[in-house]
Amino acid sequence: MADKPSDLVQGTLDMLILKTLALEPMHGYGIAVRLEQMSNGVFRLNAGSLFVAFQRLQRDGLIRSEWKATENSRRAKYYVLTDQGRKRLNSETREWGRQVAAIARILEAS
Amino acid sequence: MSFVRNIASGLRSLFRKERVSQELDEEVNGFLEMAAEEKIKQGMSRKEALRAVRLERGSLEVAKEVVRAAGWESFVESCWQDLRFAVRLLRKDPGFAAVAILTLALGIGANTAIFSVVQGVVLAPLPYREPDRLVMVWLNNNNLKSITDLSYADFVDWQRSARSFEKMAAYAWRGFDLSSPGTPEHLQGREISANFFAMLGVELAQGREFSTEEDRNGGAPVVIISNSLWRDRFGRSATAMGKSIVLDGVEATIIGVLPPDFRFGTDDADIYTPIGQRKLVEQNDRTVHNVVCVARLKAGVSMGQAEAEMNTVQETIDRLHPDMEEGLGAKLTPVKEQLVGDVRGTLLLLLGAVGVVLLIACANVANLLLVRTAARTREFSIRLALGAGRGRIVWQLVTESVLLSVLGGGLGVVAAKWGLNAALAAAASSLPRSENVRVNVSVLLFALGISIVVGILFGLAPALKSSRVDLQTSLKEGARGSTTGHQRAQSSLVVIQMALTVVLLAGAGLLFRTIQQLWKANLGFDAHNIITFQVGLSPSATGNGVGVRTAFQQLIERIRQIPGVQSADLSTLVPMSHQVNSLPFWVDSRRPASVAEAPRTLGFITGPDFQRVMGIPLIRGRFIGEQDTVNAPLVAVIDTELARTYFPDTDPIGHTISFAQVGGYRIVGVVGHVQHWELGFSSPFTAAQSYVSIYQIMDRWMTTIDTWTWVVVRTPLEASTVEPEIRKAVYGVGSDQPIYNVHTIKQTVSESMSSQRFPMIMLGIFAGLALLLASTGIYGVISYSVSQRVHEIGIRMALGADKRDVFRMVVGQGLALALAGLAIGVVGALILIRLLTSFSLLLYGVAASDPLTFTTVSVMLTLVAALACYVPARRAMRVDPMVALRYE
Repeated sequence: MADKPSDLVQGTLDMLILKTLALEPMHGYGIAVRLEQMSNGVFRLNAGSLFVAFQRLQRDGLIRSEWKATENSRRAKYYVLTDQGRKRLNSETREWGRQVAAIARILEAS
Repeated sequence: MSFVRNIASGLRSLFRKERVSQELDEEVNGFLEMAAEEKIKQGMSRKEALRAVRLERGSLEVAKEVVRAAGWESFVESCWQDLRFAVRLLRKDPGFAAVAILTLALGIGANTAIFSVVQGVVLAPLPYREPDRLVMVWLNNNNLKSITDLSYADFVDWQRSARSFEKMAAYAWRGFDLSSPGTPEHLQGREISANFFAMLGVELAQGREFSTEEDRNGGAPVVIISNSLWRDRFGRSATAMGKSIVLDGVEATIIGVLPPDFRFGTDDADIYTPIGQRKLVEQNDRTVHNVVCVARLKAGVSMGQAEAEMNTVQETIDRLHPDMEEGLGAKLTPVKEQLVGDVRGTLLLLLGAVGVVLLIACANVANLLLVRTAARTREFSIRLALGAGRGRIVWQLVTESVLLSVLGGGLGVVAAKWGLNAALAAAASSLPRSENVRVNVSVLLFALGISIVVGILFGLAPALKSSRVDLQTSLKEGARGSTTGHQRAQSSLVVIQMALTVVLLAGAGLLFRTIQQLWKANLGFDAHNIITFQVGLSPSATGNGVGVRTAFQQLIERIRQIPGVQSADLSTLVPMSHQVNSLPFWVDSRRPASVAEAPRTLGFITGPDFQRVMGIPLIRGRFIGEQDTVNAPLVAVIDTELARTYFPDTDPIGHTISFAQVGGYRIVGVVGHVQHWELGFSSPFTAAQSYVSIYQIMDRWMTTIDTWTWVVVRTPLEASTVEPEIRKAVYGVGSDQPIYNVHTIKQTVSESMSSQRFPMIMLGIFAGLALLLASTGIYGVISYSVSQRVHEIGIRMALGADKRDVFRMVVGQGLALALAGLAIGVVGALILIRLLTSFSLLLYGVAASDPLTFTTVSVMLTLVAALACYVPARRAMRVDPMVALRYE
């Protein structure tokens, strides 16, 4: 299993995208690459799920988009974290931490 | 916020589709290029790089599709596409569209019309403040299991003692002779207590209602008038306030005008006077029960609590007046139930019937759709083969059927509005709250709701069936499609239609038979050639008993002189006209311990000629005569019913019948029993009847008797020819004696059947519609089947079958369906009608399983079905075997 990129845990993609954007605004491909690098290649993102997630987050008001030039002077759509998105990221990170700790306790107990 | 943003973004995708799609293209292409650049840097060729990205990231075309399909707007868009497609299909086949839409318009329109009546009459709240707290309070005789109006003295006691009510008010019906301003006229009116309108929560249009000072004996003579009277006699002038009108010879000052839409019950009253100013004899006598009590419950007090309190109050009253009717309690009914109770059952019955019509209409359209979808099997097979989901195809077909039903519904609402106006004009008088019936928002919502539900209902079955096509066979079979399954579905729909039609036809038929029986019922008198009317005696004559007696005698004498009048006399009760004078009585010395336990008799107070005018047979002894005057001994005549029940073994003549509060009368004769109550209504009301002479009534009663006395006239002439003659004769003495309520007995009898006639007419119409729809249904199925079987018929004929065999085969197929439906329908109707008659009084003199009705219905349905099959059968006979075989 370790050699093959795994699917994301359901519902965590949104949180990871927000986390990526917390550092700086980024375009779609950049977000994908950043996620793969940070996970050491564990996650490999399908373009379809990525773009659907962008649309969803945008409609929820957690991110917004603007067209800008890349470092290679190509036009790309950059996504920017909104204040609301930042708040959501904080609350979800806390909640995630709580859940992971709880699951770990359960797994260690047995 | 995010909801709004979601909508806004969705709308942007819908209406700036090009732009949004372009942006998505650019973004996804950028993604692809950036990923590929990475790979190229690592040494791949451009072609290899693009392929590698697609492998890693999945198809980018699919990604775009996924993004487009993710928002709600894509759902809207596919619905919109389906809708446009459906409209195109309907326009391509206008014949089908017209038939389907008209059928649905009939069904939905009829439902909308009946629903708007139910909504306005039964469901809508009464137009008073917090109407749920309004109740009517009645006297309740536990021994006789009957409720009655109360006496004014009872009401005063109740009002003083009861604590459960915020306000208690009373009214009593009373006619008034208005003699000025304008032409003299008899008007319907009410005597009401001081807080009547405040209790209802109704604001007057002008002025104020009666004060408690005015609502008592000796109070200033004041009157409140209806809005229509204000309009007709005062031209809506505000200066009408404070003016006088002359009622029964007494001037009264107008202090208020009612709002234009005010109604309480079915009858409109034009005159309202303070009940506290009525004649003393009516105020104090506890045997006069003509007051209706309406009250508003205090917040938080239940009907049960209030009723318990009123029972205690009434017990105290009973103890204080031991010679009155002891053992009476109180009973509360919600005002709404009282005002609309009678028609609720009938209306719900009609709503059920009209629902059945809609089901039949649905079955017809479902049949049409089945045929259409059968023809489109290839289209669906190809779409399925190309990867369309089954859900998508079902959704598209349901969109088509809902489009049909909504179009039908729209047309139906127009038809309903038009039909309703016609129906209300005809039935308004027998329908309470009919002024409240209109096509309003909730009716429109109802129409839209059933349109959509019905569209899904009749669209879903064919849609599910079609989407389940077997690709292999249907693509191979080509244009012929697979039809056997469709035909089974169609046949079951026809059987259901036939069964439902039988139920409606049987219901209408039984009501028709009921009315037939009612006309044949023995009324106990000769209903032909009798005219009844009321006359207001001149106020100058009603001052004392002697004056009234003389005035009555002169009146009858003058009417008898009119050429063409065979006989005429007075009576306080006219049969079949809802009038009640129910008296507690006992025979000889068998006085019961309490008056409440005494049996009741209908007391007819008449002139000596009444029995002859009405044609009531004299069984024994004599009727009351000219010689029975105030100075002669009191005599009474009883009917066969009273004689049979209370003198089973003895001759009643010479015995005494005593009425509470009045005294003993010697029985001098026995006459036949008269049908007094509405036909079909018998058991719960007083049956025994007795007659006393109007000229032997005590003086104190004579002064009030004219308001409830009728003149009955036997004449072979038309009412319209005699009426002016009567007017001339009556007005000969003084012009202040209006004649009113002129009817023939025939009219009265006919009106007494309105509770059966109205549902019969409506059910008849619905049953006719059902028959029409069901016969077109069977026609459609059989002719479709013939067109599918042309090949088979051709082979049969080529093998030697003659035309008669083919005809028999086709008609036989249709009749088999009709007979199956008939059998199911007869069983269903028997069960359903027995169930309905167990709690309603619609049928009279006819068994729920009346063989004549069911035979007629069966024959009728079979004939209509045979006729519907005749046309396609003729077509089948004309099949030319050569053409049919070559056609393949």
